[in-house]
Amino acid sequence: MSLPDLVLSLADNKQMLGLRYAEWATRAPSLEADIAAAAMGLDDLGHSRVLYGCLEPLGADPRGPQRESDPASLSNLAYFDEPWSEWSQFVAANAILDTAFTAMIEACVGGSVEVLQHRLRKMLMEERYHFLHGRSWLRSGIDSGPLDRAWYEAIEWFGPPDGETATLHREGKLSMGPADLRARVEEQLEMKAPRVTIDWKTWDPVRRRSGAGAVDQHTFAMLRGLEEKKYAPPSAAKQAAS
Amino acid sequence: MTGYKRVSGDAIEYEVFARKTRVEPLHQVGSVVAPDADLAMAYARATYDEERWCEMAIVRKDDVIHLWSPGEG
Repeated sequence: MSLPDLVLSLADNKQMLGLRYAEWATRAPSLEADIAAAAMGLDDLGHSRVLYGCLEPLGADPRGPQRESDPASLSNLAYFDEPWSEWSQFVAANAILDTAFTAMIEACVGGSVEVLQHRLRKMLMEERYHFLHGRSWLRSGIDSGPLDRAWYEAIEWFGPPDGETATLHREGKLSMGPADLRARVEEQLEMKAPRVTIDWKTWDPVRRRSGAGAVDQHTFAMLRGLEEKKYAPPSAAKQAAS
Repeated sequence: MTGYKRVSGDAIEYEVFARKTRVEPLHQVGSVVAPDADLAMAYARATYDEERWCEMAIVRKDDVIHLWSPGEG
């Protein structure tokens, strides 16, 4: 794992978070929440584009050709593998995972890597409203299942206490290490994370998750533009093929 | 989604004010309903962010003191 791997994971997760938010743009419990889901989705998709754009200046773009054919090559959390079927899943992702990603962005902005310091700063302003949205809905009470799962995956995503995230922190590239990041999320949400036991031996340091699996085929095809091609007129398809 | 109330069911109405430049006064751009101010801020920003505002503020509609209303002046 390297800093570009971490930024790629952040980008992939932001992209998936944005897509999953957008799926709720007509299914949230109120019109205002619909609009917020759409707006937050747009924000996070935009953030993912900025993060992908940081890979090249960081010196080593870790994206390989397998990303075109293998959904398991994306570095997203298992939480985003399938569309959410319950509003509780939306709220837990919004409150816990979005805040966890923001904590990592804060660590990048506060770290010593110039391209991250400058390009990621604006995201923090936009994320303030994601946080207010997530925390407020969280306080209204949600099922513990998605909440515990989101906490587990967030802590897992921060990485092991003695892993490379901790090394990046020691080197000054990140202003926070795994324990600080977790504490930051707890402080922000004014709640303690549940006790979790993670088997770090099975943890994949590139995908930053233990579980196998990958994003669903429909979403993967959409990301690659294949779904869009289904709707192209035959003449356009012929042109694209020639 | 069962078990969740639609926000507008028991929510508070907030008026949203904004301005594009420092020299113009704040003016009302719309309203949102939410159960608390945090969510109202998130909703106001999401709903009315299409312009490049230099300032945006929300006020609980109940906190507006009317001197008179239409037809009473």
